[in-house]
Amino acid sequence: MASRLERLAGVLVDYSTRVKAGDLVCIDTGPAAAPLVRELWRRVLEAGGHPHLRLDVEGAQELLLREGSDAQLDWVSPLRRSEVERADVRIAIEADVNTRANTSVDPERQARAERAREPLRTIHFGRASAGDLRAVVTLYPTEAAAQDADMSLAEYEDFVYHAGLLDRDDPVAEWEELGRGYARLAEWLGHRREIRVVGDGTDLTLGVEGRTWVPCGGRENFPDGEVFTGPVETKVDGAIRFSYPASYAGRRVSGVELEFRQGEVVRAQADEGEMFLREMLALDDGARHVGEFSFGMNEAVTEFTGHTLFDEKIGGTVHLALGASYPESGGKVRSALHWDLVCDLRTGSEVYADDELVYRDGRFVDGVL
Amino acid sequence: MTDPRVERLADLLVDYSLALGEGQVVRIDSLDAGAPLVLAVYRSALRARALPYTNVGLSGLGETLLQHGSEDQLTYLSPIQWEEIEQLDALVTIWSESNTRALSRVEPDRHAAYIAAQRKLSNRRWERISSGEMSWCGTLFPTNAHAQEAEMSLAEYEDFVFAACHVQEEDPAAHWRSVSTELSTRATELGSARELRIVGPDTDLRLGVADRTWLAADGRYNMPDGEVFTSPVETDTAGEIRYTFPALYHGREVVDVRLRFEAGRVVQAEASRGNEYLQSLLEMDAGARVLGEVAFGLNYEIDRFTRNILFDEKIGGTMHLALGSGFPQAGGQNTSGLHWDMICDLRDDGEVYADGELIWKAGRFLAEPALDVVESGVGG
Repeated sequence: MASRLERLAGVLVDYSTRVKAGDLVCIDTGPAAAPLVRELWRRVLEAGGHPHLRLDVEGAQELLLREGSDAQLDWVSPLRRSEVERADVRIAIEADVNTRANTSVDPERQARAERAREPLRTIHFGRASAGDLRAVVTLYPTEAAAQDADMSLAEYEDFVYHAGLLDRDDPVAEWEELGRGYARLAEWLGHRREIRVVGDGTDLTLGVEGRTWVPCGGRENFPDGEVFTGPVETKVDGAIRFSYPASYAGRRVSGVELEFRQGEVVRAQADEGEMFLREMLALDDGARHVGEFSFGMNEAVTEFTGHTLFDEKIGGTVHLALGASYPESGGKVRSALHWDLVCDLRTGSEVYADDELVYRDGRFVDGVL
Repeated sequence: MTDPRVERLADLLVDYSLALGEGQVVRIDSLDAGAPLVLAVYRSALRARALPYTNVGLSGLGETLLQHGSEDQLTYLSPIQWEEIEQLDALVTIWSESNTRALSRVEPDRHAAYIAAQRKLSNRRWERISSGEMSWCGTLFPTNAHAQEAEMSLAEYEDFVFAACHVQEEDPAAHWRSVSTELSTRATELGSARELRIVGPDTDLRLGVADRTWLAADGRYNMPDGEVFTSPVETDTAGEIRYTFPALYHGREVVDVRLRFEAGRVVQAEASRGNEYLQSLLEMDAGARVLGEVAFGLNYEIDRFTRNILFDEKIGGTMHLALGSGFPQAGGQNTSGLHWDMICDLRDDGEVYADGELIWKAGRFLAEPALDVVESGVGG
C-alpha cells in the first residue's frame, strides 16, 4: 500500500498540476521537506517532466531581512525570475522549521522585500490565469507547524493527511467529487449581486455582481476546499471581527477588527500585533481593499491550527483577504499583500445572498442550491 | 554555534578568492549538506554589498534522474539554467557530498550522456570565466562522506580541510596574499627553464618546458590551493615515471601506475591494479597519451592522500603530471577528452633539475623565491 507521502506526491503531480511529458516542473521548498521532494522527483520523472529544485537555505531569508541593504532587499535573483517566467508547473511546499524566525525583523524592511517581489507575483498569477502555469501550494508537516497547531508531530501529520483525504482509498476520486460540488455552488453564487455576513461583531456587506466565483478542489492549494470571488472594489461596507489569529510573513496578529466604507478599510484594530497590522495596511493602495471573499468548505478540517492553508478551508468559516485579488475571479485589487483573515461562522451566524438567508451556523441552508 | 573557521572560509572566498564588490551577482552552489557554509558565504556576500543567491541541491535526486530518467530527461538543459549563466558575475561551488559513491552503480553510458549534456553548460560557463566576465571558486565543506573517503573522523577531516585553507588563522587572506606573491615569483623563475628532469624511485623523466608559461594557483579558483603549473611541450617528454599514489578517474582507482614516454607520447604503461582501465583511458583519443600538465604541489598543510583531487594535487612536496588536455593560457596545445591528474610523491628522495641545476630535493625547492618583499607564514 502506498504511504500517505507517496499518495500526496501522486495527487500533486497527477491531479493538482497534471504534469505531462516535457513540462518544466519547479519544486520550491526548504530542506525539511526532503522526503516529499524525493517522492515528487520520482513521480515527475515518471510523468515525463523535467524536475527543477529550488531549495531555500535555512536562515538566508532572515539574514537578508536583517542585514541586507535597500539595494539587496529590492533585488530579485535571475533564478527566481527565470523560474516564474519559464516553468510549466510549480509545486511550492511550505516546510518551516521555525515559523517565528522573522518575528523581530523590522516590518518596514519586510514590506520592502515583499514589494520587490510583486512583479514576480504579477507574472505568476498572469501566467496561471492564462493557463500557461499550473501552480499548487502545499505543506509538508514539520515540528514547527505542529507546534503552532499545539500538536505533536505525529498528531499534526494525521491532521494534515486527513485534511488532504490522503487516508482514503482513492483521494483523487474524492477530490474530483468535492470539486463538482464546489463548482455547482460557484455557479449558483455567480448569479447573486450581494453577500451579507452577520455574526458576533460582524455585519458586512459585499457587492459581488458580475464577479466570478471560483471553486477550489485541490488544483492550486492542497489540501483545498473553498469557493471564492473578488468582491467589487468599492462595495464592501460594515464591520467584521476575525475569530482566529492571522499570521503573515512569520508574524501573528490576533483579535483583528476591521471596518470598511466603500471598499476601503477605515478603521483597524487588533488585540495583538496592531502595529504590524497597520504597517501591512499601509504597504500600498491595494492593501486596504478586499481582494478575496471566500467560503471555507473542507469538512475534514475542523479546528484552527494557525496556518492559513488549513484555517481558511475550515468547513463553516468565511475569510477575506486584504490585498491582491485573483484575476480569474474578476477582482481588480493589486497589491504586494495578500493576507487571509478567517471568521468562524459555525455558531450564531447567518449569511444572506441578495437578502435571502442562504447559510446558517456554518452550512448552506438545505434546498438553497 | 557556527564554527569560526567556517565563517573565515566564507570571508576568504568572498573577499579574497572572488573579490566580490557592490552589486555583483553571485550564485552559491552546493548540496544540502553544505548548508552551514552556504549560509556563511551568503552572509559574507551581503556584507560585501553583493547580490547573493543560493542554488542548493538535495542528495539523492541525481541518482534518481540517472536511474529512472528517459534519454530526453537525462540530457535536458532547462532555459532557466541557460538564462542564469549569462547573468552571473561570480559563482561559488561548494562540494559537499553525503555519499561519494552514490553513483557507483549507475550505468556508465547513461552517466556519460548526462555529463556530455551538462558539459554544454559548463563550457559556456568556462568561456565566461576565461574571458574575465565572471569569477569562479570551488571549495569543499567537510562531511562524513568526504571524511570516510579520506579514512578520517569528521573532526579530524575538518581540521585537515580548514588547516589546508589556513582558516584556523586570524587573517587567512593575508596568508593567501603572501602565497600568491611567492607562487608568482616561483612561476616567473620556472618560466626561464627549458627542461625539467624529475628523478625519484623508478622515475627519471625529462620534460621540455621552453617558452611555456608557469601559472600560480593561489586560491582564486580553488580553496584550498597551492601549486604552480604549466603545460609541457607536447613532443619533448622522455623517460619513465612511477606514480606513488593511486590515480583516480571518475571514482575508479588505478594503483602503482608506471609510464614510459618517448618523444612526448606514452609508449608503455602498466599498473598493478586497474591496468585495463588505464589502457582504455590511454586509447580515449590521440591526445590521451600526451602530458597536458606538469605541476608542483606546494601546500604543506596538505600532508597526506585523501582521495580528493582538490587536496591531493596540492600535497606539499609532490608533483603531478596530467595525461590529456593542456592549458591554453600556459601555452599548452594538447587537446583531449581526458585530463587525468596523477600524483607522484617526491618527499622522501625526489630530485628535480631545471636545465641541469638541482632546484628541488625531498619535496622542497632549494632556494627561497627571490621576493622583493619577504613575507612570513608560508608553508608549514
